[in-house]
Amino acid sequence: MKTSFISSLAMSQTLRYQTMRMQAELAESLKESQTGRYADVGTALGAHAGRNLSMNRNIDRLNGLVDANAIAANRLTATQDAMTQLGDIGQSLLASLTAAKSDIDQVAVSRAEAERVLKTMTGILNSNLNGEYLFAGINTDVKPVTDFQDPASPAKTAFDAAFMAKFGFSQDDPAAASISAADMDDFLTNYVEPQFIGAGWETNWSSASDQKITSRITMNETAETSLTANEAGIRKLAMVAATVSDLLNGPLSEEAREVLYDKSLTLVGEAVADIANAQAQAGIVENRVSEASERLSSQVDLFKSLIKDSEGIDPYEAATRVNDLRAQLDASYALTARLQQLSILNYLR
Amino acid sequence: MSLTSALSIAQTALFNTSRQTSVVSRNVSEASNPDYAHRSALLSSMAPGARVVQIRRAADEVLFRQNLFAISAWQGQKAMSGGLDTMRLTVNGVEDANAPATAISKLQEALQLYAATPSNATLAESAVQAAHQVVRSLNDGAGAVQNFRADADRDIATAVDDLNHLLGEFETVNTEIVNGTRSGRDVSDALDRRDALLKKISEYVAISTTTRSGNDMVIVTADGATLFETIPRPVTFTPNTSYGPGTTGNSVYVDGVPLVPGAGGNTSAKGSIAAALQLRDETALQMQRQLDEVARGLITAFAETDPSGTLPDMAGLFSWAGGPGIPPAGTLIDGLAGAIRVNAAFDKSAGGDPSLLRDGGANGAAYLHNTTGAASYSDLLLSYSERLDEPMAFDPLTGLDTNRSVTAFSFDSVGWLEATRKQAASGAEGKEALAVRTATALSNATGVNVDNEMALLLDLENAYEASARLISVIDEMLSTLMQATR
Repeated sequence: MKTSFISSLAMSQTLRYQTMRMQAELAESLKESQTGRYADVGTALGAHAGRNLSMNRNIDRLNGLVDANAIAANRLTATQDAMTQLGDIGQSLLASLTAAKSDIDQVAVSRAEAERVLKTMTGILNSNLNGEYLFAGINTDVKPVTDFQDPASPAKTAFDAAFMAKFGFSQDDPAAASISAADMDDFLTNYVEPQFIGAGWETNWSSASDQKITSRITMNETAETSLTANEAGIRKLAMVAATVSDLLNGPLSEEAREVLYDKSLTLVGEAVADIANAQAQAGIVENRVSEASERLSSQVDLFKSLIKDSEGIDPYEAATRVNDLRAQLDASYALTARLQQLSILNYLR
Repeated sequence: MSLTSALSIAQTALFNTSRQTSVVSRNVSEASNPDYAHRSALLSSMAPGARVVQIRRAADEVLFRQNLFAISAWQGQKAMSGGLDTMRLTVNGVEDANAPATAISKLQEALQLYAATPSNATLAESAVQAAHQVVRSLNDGAGAVQNFRADADRDIATAVDDLNHLLGEFETVNTEIVNGTRSGRDVSDALDRRDALLKKISEYVAISTTTRSGNDMVIVTADGATLFETIPRPVTFTPNTSYGPGTTGNSVYVDGVPLVPGAGGNTSAKGSIAAALQLRDETALQMQRQLDEVARGLITAFAETDPSGTLPDMAGLFSWAGGPGIPPAGTLIDGLAGAIRVNAAFDKSAGGDPSLLRDGGANGAAYLHNTTGAASYSDLLLSYSERLDEPMAFDPLTGLDTNRSVTAFSFDSVGWLEATRKQAASGAEGKEALAVRTATALSNATGVNVDNEMALLLDLENAYEASARLISVIDEMLSTLMQATR
């Protein structure tokens, strides 16, 4: 009669099965303690695995946005810098014109100053960053402004044509000395202004588009991250520099010059204010971009910590588990060896 | 007279002891055979002296049935878990590296980068390359799913062959047992073989058995179809050599009754055939449908729109066999994941122009968005990125949420597979433990303990010695008697 019975096979099989299980678990725990996350994240998270993968991918996307924001920020900084220079030359033109207006009318000096302003301004507006024209709007592969001093440029041609249409002779004709103040005012207001402030600017002067570059600065927020050569301040400054440098070439009467100076002073003043205004707007966008980047970085950190929370494991716990399992396996091996030796056969002589 | 009778009893005792010793030695030699049931020689007393009447084979019907059930459940779950792991690896790759979800979000990154510098033709090219990657991921995934189904089909065919073969063997053994029992022979060895065959059969299909008179056994599947009664019943299956998106796999018929496939991750399938049927017809098909819907979502999200809003949307970056229109909304199209392509109009290697991604107009000038041809026009690129994240309708046949964005849907698909794997893993743990536990319990009830046999052998040794001693004493007594009469 047997009360409690165990078969020899069951005894050795059970030991073997237990040892095998512990070895499998040891391999898993080792991987976990090395990587700091579940050995098989999929089975540990189940349906949430999709969410974690999505967060992982989002981290890459957000980092991509941070990089893209750096490009936009670069562009904005370069724009700001250019606008500051434009403001500066506007100021110096203002000073020179004020001096001309007050009493010491040095025509040559004023003209030279206006020419310098026009040259610098053309240079600045045509500046290039990473192969893209900074002030071209979205039309970044076309040079935004033509050189007025080139006699063949459409701007110069159009200006000359306007002068000819109004007065019937060219700027350097001796008859120019007879232009009255009223005529000059009419010319400036009705012939020149439309070429700069009106539609003529885009046909003769600027190839830039009005549409500014739109950038995605966060997952669901876009911003206009450039300025174009079609800003009001730039048009006004260009008008003053072009008219002053061009008209002072001819033998203008003092009263005509007076009108020219008056008009120019008003416009330059406005231009400086407009440029400052545009700068302020760009500054706001710059600020938005840098804030967006900060937000993105903190989102990345948040996603990282969420991922760590869900698929990370306590490395100390894993290490402890590895040690425990090693000790258990040691004991199991010792036991197996002992139990295999434990046989009645050893006592049968 | 009584001396002679004593001698004859002692002789019988010697004979009995050697019979018992042979049973013990058989037990010891088969100690490590899991299919061997412990034998014992039962003695019954009869005049004159004891006689071995029969050899009893240890058996425990209840434990054996439980063990068969546990084996079926464990084999089914093992096939299911293994299949799911394979599918995950072939469709989604290691750490989901090849998953459509990963490829789509990489495309989204590429678009984002391109939108940040739309004038850069290299970035346009790399966005189209990312689109190629998405297409490859979907095409490969769809191919892998069909291969997987074909593999499962082959597994079923092999299993059915094995099963028929096992049933044939079973018939031989069963006949041997029935004949042996009728003629009163010891059929223990045949019974061992029959139990071993039952264990193997239950690896393929869940069975229940009933024993009729004369030790004749009837096998019925868990679904109620007769598998064996006097003769094996045919298990039939017509394999399909190749699988396409529209292929429906054939059923396995046991005696004309179709075998029911398992359901769920912690599968209800008992036996590897039911699990393989489930993998082939449900799990793989579900995966295929999800891939198809991802493909449809992509074609729709990247469709070109008419800026004036009059013409219908046309296939843009991604096209399909039914192009240049876009597939109807919210309806599954079988095999779309295998048929999705990058539109040749965008593909530089096919003579296309990647910058159409920025400008639009792949379907004619009416679809041109960037009318001025500005190099840094980013609106269309930004809108593609947005549309990938906008919810749209998906077919409920996929078993996932129906109102999701393409990206969210593709991540849901990964989650669905992992959730099924998780259920399978937890089921496998329990079922494996049950199989091991019932096998241990059965072995404890019917197996051999070598120590026990050895102790028995000591007893037998003593009995043998005593009997031999008796014979020599009787011999002395008889010779004393002979000498006295000389």
